[in-house]
Amino acid sequence: MVMNRKTMSIVGVAAVIFAVFLVFASGCVSQGEDAETITLAGSTTVLPVAQTVAEIYMDQHATADIQISGGGSGVGATAAKEGTANIGMLSRELKDSEKEGSNLKEFVIAKDGIALIAYPTNTVSDLTLAQIKDIYQGKITNWKELGGADMKIVLIGRDSASGTRSFFTEYVLDKEDAASTMQEYSSNGAVQQAVAQTPGAIGYVSLEFVDDSVKAFTLSGIAPTVENVINNTYGLNRPLLMITNGEPTGLAKKFLDFILSDEGQNIIAENGFVPVNV
Amino acid sequence: MNTHLKSGWKETGIKSVWLATALIAASVVVFILGYLVLTSIPIFFETGVSGFLFNSVWNPTGVVPSYGIAALLIDTLLVTFGAMIFAVPLGIICAVFLAYLAPQKVRDIVKPAIELLAGIPSVVYGFFGMVVLCSLLQNVLDIPSGFSWLAASILLGIMALPTIVSVSEDALYVVPKDYTEASLGLGATKWQTISRVLIPAAASGISAAVILGMGRAIGETMAVMMVAGNAAVIPSPIWDVLSPVRTLTATLGIELAEVASGSMHYYALFGVAAVLLLITLVINLISVRITKKIQSGGSVFSIPAQIKKILMLCGMIFAVCILMYALGIIPTLILTVIVFGLFFLRRIMSHKSIERTAFGIIYAGTFLVIGILFVILANIFINGIPAISWEFLTTAPRNMGLEGGIYPAIIGTLQLVGGAILLALPIGIGSAIYLHEYSRNNLLTRLLRTGNDLLAGTPSVVFGVFGFAFLVIFLGWGVCMLAGMICLALMVLPTIIKTTEEALRSVPNSLREASLGLGATKWQTLKKVVLPSAAPGILTGTILSIGRAAGETAPIMFTAVVFSKRFISMDLFDPVMALPFHLYVLSTSVPGSETQQYGTAVVLICLVMAIYLVAIVIRKRFQKRLL
Amino acid sequence: MTSILSTKNLNLSYGSKQVLYDIDLPFEEKSVTALIGPSGCGKSTLLRCMNRMNDLIPDCKITGDILYRGENITKSDPVLLRRKIGMVFQRPNPFPKSIYDNIAYGPRAHGTKDVKILDDIVENSLKGAVLWDEVKDRLHESALGLSGGQQQRLCIARTLAVNPDVILMDEPCSALDPIATTKIEQLILDLKKNYTVIIVTHNMQQAARISDITGFMYLGKLIETGKTELIFSNPQEELTERYITGRFG
Repeated sequence: MVMNRKTMSIVGVAAVIFAVFLVFASGCVSQGEDAETITLAGSTTVLPVAQTVAEIYMDQHATADIQISGGGSGVGATAAKEGTANIGMLSRELKDSEKEGSNLKEFVIAKDGIALIAYPTNTVSDLTLAQIKDIYQGKITNWKELGGADMKIVLIGRDSASGTRSFFTEYVLDKEDAASTMQEYSSNGAVQQAVAQTPGAIGYVSLEFVDDSVKAFTLSGIAPTVENVINNTYGLNRPLLMITNGEPTGLAKKFLDFILSDEGQNIIAENGFVPVNV
Repeated sequence: MNTHLKSGWKETGIKSVWLATALIAASVVVFILGYLVLTSIPIFFETGVSGFLFNSVWNPTGVVPSYGIAALLIDTLLVTFGAMIFAVPLGIICAVFLAYLAPQKVRDIVKPAIELLAGIPSVVYGFFGMVVLCSLLQNVLDIPSGFSWLAASILLGIMALPTIVSVSEDALYVVPKDYTEASLGLGATKWQTISRVLIPAAASGISAAVILGMGRAIGETMAVMMVAGNAAVIPSPIWDVLSPVRTLTATLGIELAEVASGSMHYYALFGVAAVLLLITLVINLISVRITKKIQSGGSVFSIPAQIKKILMLCGMIFAVCILMYALGIIPTLILTVIVFGLFFLRRIMSHKSIERTAFGIIYAGTFLVIGILFVILANIFINGIPAISWEFLTTAPRNMGLEGGIYPAIIGTLQLVGGAILLALPIGIGSAIYLHEYSRNNLLTRLLRTGNDLLAGTPSVVFGVFGFAFLVIFLGWGVCMLAGMICLALMVLPTIIKTTEEALRSVPNSLREASLGLGATKWQTLKKVVLPSAAPGILTGTILSIGRAAGETAPIMFTAVVFSKRFISMDLFDPVMALPFHLYVLSTSVPGSETQQYGTAVVLICLVMAIYLVAIVIRKRFQKRLL
Repeated sequence: MTSILSTKNLNLSYGSKQVLYDIDLPFEEKSVTALIGPSGCGKSTLLRCMNRMNDLIPDCKITGDILYRGENITKSDPVLLRRKIGMVFQRPNPFPKSIYDNIAYGPRAHGTKDVKILDDIVENSLKGAVLWDEVKDRLHESALGLSGGQQQRLCIARTLAVNPDVILMDEPCSALDPIATTKIEQLILDLKKNYTVIIVTHNMQQAARISDITGFMYLGKLIETGKTELIFSNPQEELTERYITGRFG
């Protein structure tokens, strides 16, 4: 039982149509000559704004291809070090173990605050650092202990690669572990989504991920806003880094220069971060 | 004389080619296992083997790092167990329906439909679970969060169903009609025939189905990552199905990309991968032994009736004790009364009404399974079709994927799949040819087959781990298309080998004998007679592999993909976008992108299902002609 | 002798194809009746009407009456009917279970649970099938380990275990070697003391050896029926004579 001609010709026609589609559609997006490609990887806090800046840069430079992926600050450090990405993105300082044995150059591109968020209808509005620590260590387990509704607290956090988590652990938890029941998510966006869907949840995200779908706590009365980060009244903030292995060259250098330029820093500010150069 | 020598050399040469491919295929799994174990050695020096396996605290990035996988192991077992409780009864019910109760026309529709369920990519299941199942659980059970053991088990159960139904149904279908006739001739009812003769007769096939389903559940990564909550704790109390859990596979999926290579955490993750691979290998070996034992006519457990009664009594007492501990005395008493009541009822019910009840349950179960398929597909299509537009299909993503389209992901998927098939086909077909046409029943062949079986049972995430460590880091390729292609190729290799072997087996020996009898060489027989006959079967296998490769995320997650890319490139050492990964990132990291998520899911499902449908149609035409 | 089972005006068709035409055939109690005829004459089909096995075939239409002890069985419950009218098939088909479980299957399906009663039934059935001595020490071993002839006797024992009145046999020896065949034939002669046996066979010598009454069928019609010695020595119909002398079929 061999395939008869009819079947083969149908398959053939289908393949041809498909190939035509490919050629036609790829005409819209194929790269020209003298193209340059760089990859960025790392913090999901930095990713959205890096993406936005990259898109604007690519609109201005038609032959540039900037490829971006996430994974967390840990990924950013590893990728830059191992060379699997040209630029690593971090939302925390480099660890000593990461600086060891490599020639990593750091560029601070912005400052960012971390907000504690909850389900929009949560009646609790204000928390102190000490309370947050107790909540995340499992010592406070119900919202009613904070004056809210009788609801179990659901702990939402980041996974171990996250710079945001690293910073949170160091600054809020005093380098101690969070409760083991904390659910771990792999990005700011995921945390925000989980909190927005879960009535009893509490989570921490970068400032730019605070929107109407969640409620942000004030920290001993100070609201998490860009202004309060600039004037340093909102203490939960950290620098956002881009790192390269050795001095950046080529498209990587041009991109970094762009971010640190006025135009780039304006984009940063528009996206809810604190610019460093303006 | 000269020509005789020449063709002798040629034949030997060709045989060596097939042998080489078979060796490659079988040695891959050994290589992977070896590489994983070797890489993981440092962790075992750090914590000791028992320290690694039995410590229940997994906190590798904690202040005091702890590398104990006991919680992960137990969670994996719990989730799999839950999935089997859900999938095995339903699966067997469906299989019985398809094999014995369904009219031919219904069977022709329902059987492919359930096989289509197998084609839905795991990331789509995860997506559905995240968005629909977990919210459902949260609302219906009034609990803080739906991400739990229960959600993971239900989802995995649904994913294991098609495997269990398909393989069980095949086993039931081929039970000789003689048994049915004999049983009915003795005055037994149809249900008695099914339950007392036919199902036990198909026991080996059904056990194989269950174990295959179990393997699928244990090895599943993406879906579990998206719905289980991922807290590395042992539920307390242990039957708290609403507790978040984290499996071995999810740990790999979440932490591998982020770990610093060369750190203790890195070695610990390899330890996890090695343990995972070992577990699947052990399950595989057990299943082969059980299947062989049942097939050879012996029953697996031949216990005299008296001991059986005592065991049952002990089991019941044990179950009652556990229930009392878990639920309290009163609910347990009520439950016991109900169970006894049902038992008593069964004794006094006439055979006719028992039969009616049994068939009623079977119909209900089958409807449930079809209903689930329908709900999942309807939900995704209804929500996803609005997102589809020409722009969506032909432009690159912008603004974190919230705008623009998924064109590079479509192309990337096709590139990855195309490359994977190009790599896997020659090796797979060569292996199958060697195993079926040339090999004798010696130690080498047994080793080759074992290697193959083990490769088939390997979880897809292990390929990803291996690819990442060996191809991306060790060989320095970086995240690139080629690494992804190789991982996918390894993953589909066993499928191609298996289906090619079956296709070769279905070519009657009389054809081969006729050709050889006319003085043709083995290679000529293969080329001109056997392979053309087997071509449709090989084609089906290829197409099934394409479908599977297109939908997989775990093997490419660390090895080939980036989230966004503007240009298509043909450079093998460039990373690509891919549909399943795109869906994963959108649903887990980009809030507000529901429309795009659904749109991506629709495109992915359409692509994969179209491929599966083609395979099913070809197979049907092939089968019809044989009859 | 009374006729325990009889057909009146029995017609059967599969879809549009008619296979049995106006069969009127009484079967005497505690006797052996043989149905002979060339391939395709409908003898197996007729046999399978007696215990409603034709119900399993879709598109099968039956008109006419089949009376068992005066009752028209086309209307009664086939499951209960088959407990009274048992069947042994052409190829031995023991279940893939132990010898004991094979025999006990029928009684268990009908509701017998007492182990002692089942033990007795098993022993008696195996004795009735002249198999007890050969298997009494390995009752719990798989039935598939027996030889072809033993398996067929097992199937007979299995049928005896449900205590039927009538035993239908559809070419029971065609898959067996001559020695096994002889054993089965002797068994049949033994069985007719207590059971009514109807046997379909294409082996005329066998029919002559073991049956009391013989019916000859051709193309779906019952051509002739009568005492076996008379049929074989002095058939009335020309067709019968031609078949018996081997001039066709």
